[in-house]
Amino acid sequence: MCRRLSLVFLALASPLTLGLSLIPGPIPEWIFSIVVTAFPMALIAIAIGGRSGPGARGPALLAMLVFFEACVVGMLVFRGQVLDATWFGGLPPAAAIQVYGLFLAPLLPVALLYALTFDRFELKKDDLDRLARYRRPRGGG
Amino acid sequence: MPILTRPTIILTAAAYLLVVILIGIWAARRTRSAKDFFIAGQNIGLLVTALATMSAAFSGFVFIGGPGLTYRLGLASLFICFPVSLTAGLLCWVVAKRLRLLAEVRDIYTVPDAIHARFNSRSASGMAAAAVLVGTVGYLGAQLKALGILIEAIFGTREFLGEWSLAAAMLIGLVVVLFYATAGGMIAGVYTDLFQGALMICAAVAVFATTLSIGGGLENMARSIAESDAFGPGHLDPLGSVPVFTAMGFFFIFTVGTLGQPQMLHKFLMLDDPRKLKWMPMIIGVTQALCILIWFGIGLAVPSLVATGRLAPLTNPDDASMLFLLSFTPEILAGLVFAGILAAIMSTADSLVNIGSAALVRDLPMALGRKVTDELFWGRVAVVAIAASAAVFAYIYGDLIALLGTFAFGTFGAALGPVLAIGLNWRRVTAAAATASITTGMGVNLVIEFLMRQTIFPGLAKPPLLAGVLPAAIALASSFTVLFLVTWLTGRRAPSTIDDDVQLVMEL
Repeated sequence: MCRRLSLVFLALASPLTLGLSLIPGPIPEWIFSIVVTAFPMALIAIAIGGRSGPGARGPALLAMLVFFEACVVGMLVFRGQVLDATWFGGLPPAAAIQVYGLFLAPLLPVALLYALTFDRFELKKDDLDRLARYRRPRGGG
Repeated sequence: MPILTRPTIILTAAAYLLVVILIGIWAARRTRSAKDFFIAGQNIGLLVTALATMSAAFSGFVFIGGPGLTYRLGLASLFICFPVSLTAGLLCWVVAKRLRLLAEVRDIYTVPDAIHARFNSRSASGMAAAAVLVGTVGYLGAQLKALGILIEAIFGTREFLGEWSLAAAMLIGLVVVLFYATAGGMIAGVYTDLFQGALMICAAVAVFATTLSIGGGLENMARSIAESDAFGPGHLDPLGSVPVFTAMGFFFIFTVGTLGQPQMLHKFLMLDDPRKLKWMPMIIGVTQALCILIWFGIGLAVPSLVATGRLAPLTNPDDASMLFLLSFTPEILAGLVFAGILAAIMSTADSLVNIGSAALVRDLPMALGRKVTDELFWGRVAVVAIAASAAVFAYIYGDLIALLGTFAFGTFGAALGPVLAIGLNWRRVTAAAATASITTGMGVNLVIEFLMRQTIFPGLAKPPLLAGVLPAAIALASSFTVLFLVTWLTGRRAPSTIDDDVQLVMEL
């Protein structure tokens, strides 16, 4: 379900992204920003949605999507508010969201999510044994 | 003032380069086969692979081009490097695991090899090889230009060569790269990357601390920039100083486009055990985050110094790093950073020349059903041809290193990203769709860049894009669109051409 939905999203979002690049105005800018932010999450959903489904990674991926979208919407909302706004961590609000939200906050959670779910969902103990049965040297693939 | 007048910098840099050369000589002796040459014998551990991947991604682009772009565009430019919090995980989830597992069942040395294995199509792997070649020329060009700027700073050539200074410095850089690429192998490259990567992290953290100290803290730097006439508040607004399509276009290209970077993907093929991918995003992500502190720090410090009158406005934004390091850091730190940048450029250039050479003498002939008889000789000829083409292209391109790098990154990303990201995870993607997608990604990026920059044909209309829309973002979206469209058109009729072993890799 999650995988199919992601494929449909990417199939529709790709031409939409192209079309938006031709239309001026704030609404196309917002839609473009929100759509391209969802691209990486959709690709991860396709990759993890195979064999046994996303499992525990599904809600985490959804949380990541919501977080990244919130950061982008936040930057759009606070656009143009620099000197007259309340600063956070030495930066104006949109820049603070970019530095602390988009850059620093997801760094460890994303890496930990991958590491902690690796043995159960990514590569199980017997997977390499199954592959070993097919091993064949064949120059150039 | 040229660095030649500062012996501490020269000595520190020379000592560092000596260590790198010794590693190179030690490792070169271990290169005995094609597997050693192309993928370092597929015998490299987690830490070395992770740092080599980080080093391949970061080069002159990050250390020289990045701060220059931030000086020119403001914080919007950081959308290029800030996605590192996500990209390492994205890379491992979507592409790296399947790519490495393919290398468990087949002899996969290059990205076109992997595409051939997945689609059983010589046209798809041939187009992939062509895209690798085109992107290599652009990316290598960015390295040579960064090298030229570094050589200019070291020897002060601008003072006595005037407008020919950059061309002469790039020529010197080209000769050095050719020597390094001919002498060095992939084993030498990855172990050099380990040492260099560790040093770059230390140097980046030290330089970042220096920028905060010189600038009087983050808020002080930010306020001086925002209140100045030269930059203004827009400089600190991620979506304010440039059109939103540019800023978010950077984000799009540098997250999704990462999935098609052969200089990074190639490193995953070298990992000795696929299970070691488990901690790869952690190591790559954290080391990349530490390294880009140099971009963030210098990118804010230099405009702040200009805003407060402590530094004259830059005529060329690409000089930002050089000026800061020469004027505001201790000589020993400057020496380490210069040596590190030099080695970063050289190792990335070496890696690119290797990949480009393989595309020209191995992947492309195989796609045409031929085999080059004397691969070593023609490989060396290819190295010279690719490096010379890259230098000429970079000089003619006439823009910032980061924008040249964006073009090259975009070419790789648009041509190879969609086909690898979707093709390795969805069985319905056909060979025809893969070929069409790669051709579209490469072609659209090249055509739009040409139409936007060319002055040869005055009657030729420019593409009807909004101001600020990045050609690479259009190319990436086009490549995805074509992949889905052609899959939909051909998927039902085409018989499955996926071999059993590849099918198993895609299921795992």
